[in-house]
Amino acid sequence: MTDTDGSRSRRRFLAAVGAAGTAGLAGCQFGSSRTPSRNVAFSDFRGSGPLVESRPPLEGTRLSDLPELSGELDIYLGGGEGGLYRDLVTLLENIYPDFTGRIRGYGAAEGANTIITEGESTPADVFWSVDAGSLGAVADEGLTAELPSEVVEPVPETFHPNGQWVGTAGRARAVPYNTDALSSDDIPETVMDFPGASPLQDAMGWGPTYGAFQAFVTAMRVIEGEEPTREWLNGMLDAGITEYPDEFLVSNAVAEGEIAAGFANHYYALRVRASRPDAPLDLAFTSGDAGALINVAGAAQLAPSDNGDLAQTFIRHLLSAEAQEFFATRTYGYPMIPGIPPVGGLPTIDELNPPDLDLTELSDVQPTLELLRETGVL
Amino acid sequence: MASGGDDAAGVGGTLTRRAREAADGDAAGLLLAAAAVAVAAAVVSPVLWLVLRAADVGLVEAVGLATSPTAVEVLVNSLLVVALVTGGSLALGVPLAVLTVQTDLPFGRFWTVVAALPLVVPSYLGAFAYVSAFGPRGALADLLAPLGVRIPTIYGLEGAVLVLTLFVYPYVFLTTRASLLSFDTTQLEAARTLNHRYRSAFRRVVLPQIAPGVTAGALLVALYALSDFGTPAIMQYDVFTRVIYVELGAFGQARATVLALELLCVTAFVLALESRIGPEESDGYGSAASSSTVIELGRLRWPAMLFPATVATFTLALPVGILAMWLLRSGPGYAGGGIAFDWAFGLNSVSASLLAALVTVVLALPIAYYAGRSDSLAARLSERSTYVGYAMPGVVLALALVFFGTSYAPGLYQTLPLLVFAYVVRFLPQAVGTTRSSVLGVDGDLLGAARTLGEPPRGAFRRVTLPLITPGLVAGAALVFLTTMKELPATLILHPTGFTTLVTYIWRVQEAGYYGRAALPALVLVAVSGLSMVLLLRQEGTDG
Repeated sequence: MTDTDGSRSRRRFLAAVGAAGTAGLAGCQFGSSRTPSRNVAFSDFRGSGPLVESRPPLEGTRLSDLPELSGELDIYLGGGEGGLYRDLVTLLENIYPDFTGRIRGYGAAEGANTIITEGESTPADVFWSVDAGSLGAVADEGLTAELPSEVVEPVPETFHPNGQWVGTAGRARAVPYNTDALSSDDIPETVMDFPGASPLQDAMGWGPTYGAFQAFVTAMRVIEGEEPTREWLNGMLDAGITEYPDEFLVSNAVAEGEIAAGFANHYYALRVRASRPDAPLDLAFTSGDAGALINVAGAAQLAPSDNGDLAQTFIRHLLSAEAQEFFATRTYGYPMIPGIPPVGGLPTIDELNPPDLDLTELSDVQPTLELLRETGVL
Repeated sequence: MASGGDDAAGVGGTLTRRAREAADGDAAGLLLAAAAVAVAAAVVSPVLWLVLRAADVGLVEAVGLATSPTAVEVLVNSLLVVALVTGGSLALGVPLAVLTVQTDLPFGRFWTVVAALPLVVPSYLGAFAYVSAFGPRGALADLLAPLGVRIPTIYGLEGAVLVLTLFVYPYVFLTTRASLLSFDTTQLEAARTLNHRYRSAFRRVVLPQIAPGVTAGALLVALYALSDFGTPAIMQYDVFTRVIYVELGAFGQARATVLALELLCVTAFVLALESRIGPEESDGYGSAASSSTVIELGRLRWPAMLFPATVATFTLALPVGILAMWLLRSGPGYAGGGIAFDWAFGLNSVSASLLAALVTVVLALPIAYYAGRSDSLAARLSERSTYVGYAMPGVVLALALVFFGTSYAPGLYQTLPLLVFAYVVRFLPQAVGTTRSSVLGVDGDLLGAARTLGEPPRGAFRRVTLPLITPGLVAGAALVFLTTMKELPATLILHPTGFTTLVTYIWRVQEAGYYGRAALPALVLVAVSGLSMVLLLRQEGTDG
């Protein structure tokens, strides 16, 4: 792994995205805080590279403040950021020799569909998924248990609706754009203005089969209403938007110059740059509307499980300062606890101005699909 | 299939008919029928879950869903893909099979492996490779841009058909090859001595004999094209699987199953169509597997290699090249991956696939034998019903088995036996098709003779039939093995916890968009499958 040393550009996070390697760097604010009972250092959890070199002081519940993990836990993983979530579980297993996390990986929707099909016979104790909609779907079937307040209290209210699940890391909707083709002024402030924006004609891309995109359209339906959403979709079609199978490919196509801008989750652009540090790619964010939605990965304790205590302790570990630092520096996600800032000059959650929206409403995808079909987007 | 086939008048025909009746008549025949029906019932059982689930949708909504303008468009698109891919696969698969079995092509065995291998490339990888190479701003477009050449877009119907054809034609290749190996070349030689040129001899002697095999392959291609999700998704072409996938992504399981049932109706339609236009069946004149050269290519011997080489360029060299490019391009930036790549994943893949191939072939035997030897409705139905699981989108089938596993066999849920059962349900017709076409090539008179000489039915089967149908069994096992190696949805949902295979590992690293990380395991998948193919072909005991 080599750290590329890119030139500083207008936005700090676009200075080279380094390798999120396993080699921890020295210079963490806490030093390598070790407790007699558990050898835990922040550096074990932190990624590396220029993005991570100067982390501010971090605050939050430390692992050493939590009850120990012990026993076997069955975790259904929906998504999992290319295996990074497994790395975190492995880290925890190394800290607690008596703890085993038995992971089964699925896609977010497959995981939820599997649990719903298993029903009361599900072998899983925890459903940990990268998409709030899939957690909401399992909760809607009455298969999640309510998490006690000491588990969810470090996280803002928005990200643990009814205590049926709790967010572990956030993903912001963003507009990746090609800096050779557009300047940041070409990107409208609000997403509803995109169809009429002349620099964006025949130059945009989206991934309508992708869950995060459907969550974004669902948010638009809830915020703006059915008709304006229909008009917006038709407007984007009229503006000649190109379809891609997923949002990594949208971001990739922007970097390639195939399209000038697109709709995608924020971290895809970072990953494109991670593999091609010189790609002419930047991120813009809209404000206060569906385009600024922050969706979350989250975890739920499953009601049929008789392993509730361990499940809850595990979820508390996901919300510890160390685990949150892991999500921030290795998956480029938004930490869920205020004491851990996001990396590399990403605007903080409070700078982002997401819409005021109950995330559980994101599981109401069915009307969105009908809308996407009627307009011919799907 | 058209019934009858006893058109050959005279004694031979009568004897044959008697042998067939025997298959329905005696105790062994009954046992065979019972076994065939039992296997068929087991593989059709997941449909019950579809019906249960679909019942959650009101009739009005279901009919509305099935007849919406979208659904009609999707139906037309799906049938277009099926027709074009089937045609293309016949055009590639049959000539390649003839070339590798019946001619003195140099390095015949090597080309055989190469021609079968595209079956191991998972469709989403194949499609990605093609988009990377021929898509707008792909490698080729970049190459031609300075020259001012604009290539037509690969997205849509053209791309979906091109990629599917390139990666599924081996079905036709392998089933045709099996028929050719079971084919009695002495007939061809007889025709040649009567001064027929090879082409006319092929039409008059060879084609009628291998038609069942070719058709079996074409049917597999058609139904695969119907149930494949990866390629149309990446080529952005709206077919059934894509709509079903979107429904499942929105947790509309009930609606997804309505669409899956509709897809099964289309499958039934394709099956019916196939039995309409299927070949007349004739009995063979049992001969041992042979791949002796019947066509001397002469001066064309070396240039003839251009054909398989060209196909291989597009099916193997290009995707492997793109994968290698990803491997080099992935560079720094990511070191996750859950667990590092482990060669044990390859071992898991191979052992699960071998197990699936073995079990599938054993279960295919009674059905293929029954369907090949009897014209009864039960025989035809049990053979046809094996296609149900194969034509269902993998995710839907996997969820059906989740339901059955948790409800009726909790001890088996998330164990290897249930996973292997899932593979059997998905891939049984691949083995039935190839075996059955070999069974049809077995001469009833030979069996009759063996029985007359006092062999019990079992002995006659072991000493006469089994040696004759071995090429079909091996081809079936090869097909099941190769497709199990790359099977994703059922593996993901039903695997034993901690049992990582090559494909689930590839999926894990690429689902978050790290395609470069998927390159190495994908290359390993192709290599391991290739090696396994060589071993399988060894078993044919021929030197191609």
